[in-house]
Amino acid sequence: MSELIPYLLTVVFVSFVINLVIALYGIFARPTLVKKIIALTIFSDSLNSLAIFVGYRMVPKGVPAPPVVVNYTSPQGPAQLAKVAVDPLPQALVLTAIVIGLAVTLFMVKVTMQVYRVYGTTSVRKLERIEQSNREEVEEEVIE
Amino acid sequence: MRVTDLVVAASIVALALLLSYAMLLGGIGPVPVRSELRTLALNYILLTYNPVKIIYSALAPEGVTAIVWDYRGLDTYFETAVMFLAIISVVALTHGCKVRIGLGRGGMSLIVKTTTRILMPLIVLAGVSITMHGWLTPGGGFQGGATIAVATVLALVTYSLDTLAKHGIRKKVLLAMRSAGLIGIALTAVALLLVGLAIGVNAYIFQNQERVGSPLAFPAYFGGTPTGGSLLFYNLFEAFAVSAGLSLVIIMASLRESEVRSALRGEGVE
Repeated sequence: MSELIPYLLTVVFVSFVINLVIALYGIFARPTLVKKIIALTIFSDSLNSLAIFVGYRMVPKGVPAPPVVVNYTSPQGPAQLAKVAVDPLPQALVLTAIVIGLAVTLFMVKVTMQVYRVYGTTSVRKLERIEQSNREEVEEEVIE
Repeated sequence: MRVTDLVVAASIVALALLLSYAMLLGGIGPVPVRSELRTLALNYILLTYNPVKIIYSALAPEGVTAIVWDYRGLDTYFETAVMFLAIISVVALTHGCKVRIGLGRGGMSLIVKTTTRILMPLIVLAGVSITMHGWLTPGGGFQGGATIAVATVLALVTYSLDTLAKHGIRKKVLLAMRSAGLIGIALTAVALLLVGLAIGVNAYIFQNQERVGSPLAFPAYFGGTPTGGSLLFYNLFEAFAVSAGLSLVIIMASLRESEVRSALRGEGVE
């Protein structure tokens, strides 16, 4: 049993990394902006889970507790908590990352909506083709 | 094309293996079977609520909020500023689109409307509760504010944009609320510094409790319950700012398609 838990935790850990890499593939290889945004959110979510996971600890006897001093009236409260608490710093950083991720996603979604309204597509390859034909038209006008 | 696919697949697998191997070897510390706390985490947990060593303590029982708004307060201030900038840019992208009011109040059926009317105060109450316990239990200003914004979304979907505008939830009001929240956070950050300048005592930016060389402090208790000093104000203003900002983005995202398109063509810009 004591061997099984670290093994399962390692499996979870590696699966986070695989998730990250698949999301990276989505960001680079998918042509549609919407899918790029979805892949980016998957990427940041798996990275956040990974960061929370780094703050996890195995408590020898008992269950890991959130970093909240419940018994704050007694002077031994923080010391008791330190025996079972998980690391609070990754949680605080992930909180910041979630807010920034939300803000960036909002902005990207709005930009994609505007791109779709202007060009009628969200595919990066089609956008490139439209841009090229626009440039050729301008060059022809200059030559004439 | 088939060769490229193979190369892409091989590089993905190689990257995954390399990353997991580097991390499991100890790239980010001994994971995942540690049983001891890191020294930094131990310090945070022992000092978060420590009336004996007040000069190192935030006097807030919740470790995460203490880190977010006291120990690493400047980080969080800039994070809030990033979110504010994103909301400003979303508003700027829809510049010239009028939130037209008076096109009728449709909405969903009576059953949904009545349920929403019962649910909305409860949602707001839950958000306020999450905010007001941010320094005692998991939660805080951002989480509470996001919960309150859900009430706006519900109202927008089940009633209409017009109903929201009729009750005073307009673009300008929300933008002003958002700015007021951010200004409130900034003022809380420099409050003790200003007091210190006025009475000639040393003080710091983002100071919460007494620190080395500065006797000033926010009140740490209210009726015997810890308030976390400045954390109370930060959480309140953050909830205010986040709920207004998210509601604003939702309203901006629900504009009528024809109006956005005409604004993009340059028509109707005042």
